[in-house]
Amino acid sequence: MRPVSSLSLSPSVKVRLVSAGFRFTSDLRGLKPLQLSKEASLSQPEALEVLQTVRRVVGGDEGGGGASASLTALELLQKEEEELRSIVTFSSQLDAALGGGLPVGKTIEICGAPGVGKTQLCLQLAVDVQVPSCFGGVGGQMVYIDTEGSFLLQRVVDIATAGVRHCSLLAEDDEQRVAMETFTVETILSNMFLVRCHDYVELLAELHLLPGFLSAHPRVRLLVIDSVAFVFRRLFDDLSQRTRLLNDLAQQLIAMATRHKMAVVITNQMTTRLRGGQSQLVPALGESWGHAPAIRLLLHWVGPQRMAAIFKSPAHMDSTIQYQITSEGFRDANQCEQPQSKRPRRHTNQPAASQRVTSC
Amino acid sequence: MVVLRAEMCPGLDEDLVKDLRAADIKTVEDLVSSDTEEVAQRCSVSYKALFAIRRVLLAQHTAFPVSGADLYEELLSSTAILSSGSPSLDKLLDSGFYTGEITELSGGPGSGKSQVCFGVAVHISLHLKQSVIFIDTTGGLTAKRLLQMLQTETSNREEQMEALQRIHVFQLFDVFSLLDCLYSLRAGRLQQASVGGGGGSVKAVIVDSVSAVISPLLGAKHNEGMSLMIQVAGVLKTMAKDFNVAAVVTNHVTRGDGGEVQPGLGASWSHIPRTRVLMEKLDRTSVVSHSSLRSATLIKSSRQPCHIRAELDLCWWSRSAEGPSGKRKLDETDSC
Repeated sequence: MRPVSSLSLSPSVKVRLVSAGFRFTSDLRGLKPLQLSKEASLSQPEALEVLQTVRRVVGGDEGGGGASASLTALELLQKEEEELRSIVTFSSQLDAALGGGLPVGKTIEICGAPGVGKTQLCLQLAVDVQVPSCFGGVGGQMVYIDTEGSFLLQRVVDIATAGVRHCSLLAEDDEQRVAMETFTVETILSNMFLVRCHDYVELLAELHLLPGFLSAHPRVRLLVIDSVAFVFRRLFDDLSQRTRLLNDLAQQLIAMATRHKMAVVITNQMTTRLRGGQSQLVPALGESWGHAPAIRLLLHWVGPQRMAAIFKSPAHMDSTIQYQITSEGFRDANQCEQPQSKRPRRHTNQPAASQRVTSC
Repeated sequence: MVVLRAEMCPGLDEDLVKDLRAADIKTVEDLVSSDTEEVAQRCSVSYKALFAIRRVLLAQHTAFPVSGADLYEELLSSTAILSSGSPSLDKLLDSGFYTGEITELSGGPGSGKSQVCFGVAVHISLHLKQSVIFIDTTGGLTAKRLLQMLQTETSNREEQMEALQRIHVFQLFDVFSLLDCLYSLRAGRLQQASVGGGGGSVKAVIVDSVSAVISPLLGAKHNEGMSLMIQVAGVLKTMAKDFNVAAVVTNHVTRGDGGEVQPGLGASWSHIPRTRVLMEKLDRTSVVSHSSLRSATLIKSSRQPCHIRAELDLCWWSRSAEGPSGKRKLDETDSC
């Protein structure tokens, strides 16, 4: 027995139901749509919708199957090991810091000053998600939502070529050689779906339509939005409305990430915060946005060296790693030209310990 | 405002309801507050019958007073105190989370709220051997992290798996799914979860975080936000009281007028939790600080003086399990 105001119906319908005296779902039991529409002055389709909602909710309560399915943590662990494999990047230090790679089913934010390599990392991930599973990858497609216009096709081709070359040097057995036939620059490009959004309305509309697209393309394992900050920082007079829209956006993204088993990567810019006479560079979009992504990466410079710091993660300790951007893409710092052997997929049970990289 | 219906009580049939409605008496309140003799005359029904109906309706819709002594005895026998697993946090909370009430953990991003929630869930399922319901609205829960925490407490694989089975996870991302879930738990799935979950009744319901689903609704154009927030609060409170579970919720923070940090969701929500803890990073000078120390301040409590602080080390839940890890209070006054 629930109050009618807790059902997911339009507010005007609920107001009319309550003023006609129907406060609980038990009051609506055994009513026909025609009766209800007369007594509560609703239209016929509205009355029908009300009764269907009540039936679904009450049936859920009593039937035990219910609106939301629950898992035990053990089942969730098994699901994580089987279905939600991480996206392995070509940077072993980043993979180690993230406990095996970019986790699928979570939202990850990459923030940093201009030019530090956020878009490069996104383009690298766009290729990494397509690495076939026999090489330890996820073998999925991806959707790239570009709001800044920073998607450069030639750069993607360079990164893809380097990735293909790297994998073909690693191919040892027949399965991997067969997989290499389908892992070429052309197929990589054909598995990337690019969307160009110019303002926040287009972005929100695209995200509204995305679930339909994802149901039609179940192999999508990565969604990149580069960048969210760009569209939400200009032409916004009402900051509280912006906060609400961002919170709503965050919930939509995490719902999509969980339901469609994909990783969502969001890029953010930096802004200056003045506190008591001191200024500090902090991620943009406000403090409440900080709650939205599950994992946050900060890319910054320390002298001439680029560093990536994980400063929010519910499953790994905060750590900082070094990286560099080469013509081949996002790589570990001081990487030699010979290919590093990719470790076969092995589930390590040790926690990802804090890694302080000693300065080289 | 309960509408008069034909089957509500014996003696109240369709015709009588129609007559009463014609006399402008539509709800139970109208009937009870009207003059019985006058109504009996107007609706041409016997005074005695109407008086009997009125008495039955009053009995059905009244609340019963309970004496303070009975309440106190019930409280003593049914309240349990659940340790959070971290001694410093327990000291702050007066030995742990109390069942029958809502405790709120608020803090900025990365302040450790989710880690504390995981720690509590792991402690209850492993050491107290009771079930936990974890409602995750932010996507921050990974079973691997729970397993990591379990592995620091015990190295027995079977115990770890059993403990994992006692944690029931719901992944919901909007307020109506949350309401559906909470109402269905209250209507009976709570007992089902405890029966199916390898023994032990449900002792805690953790919602991480409640502000993620409610804050998009609070504001200018939405007129439903407050109502839904209070409904979530209401169902959590009744569930905590009726089933003797500890409800733990997490909240975000906003900046007040003077620039100081305060918990989110506004003044209306601030009355809902019985105990509120504000968590912060100790080092606030840089965005990236790899310290795992956090400070927890008690901002609302009915048992402890307010504004006492404790320092937490989030590494507590990742420490290597060599030897006894200090005196943890396993205080449980529960009589199952």
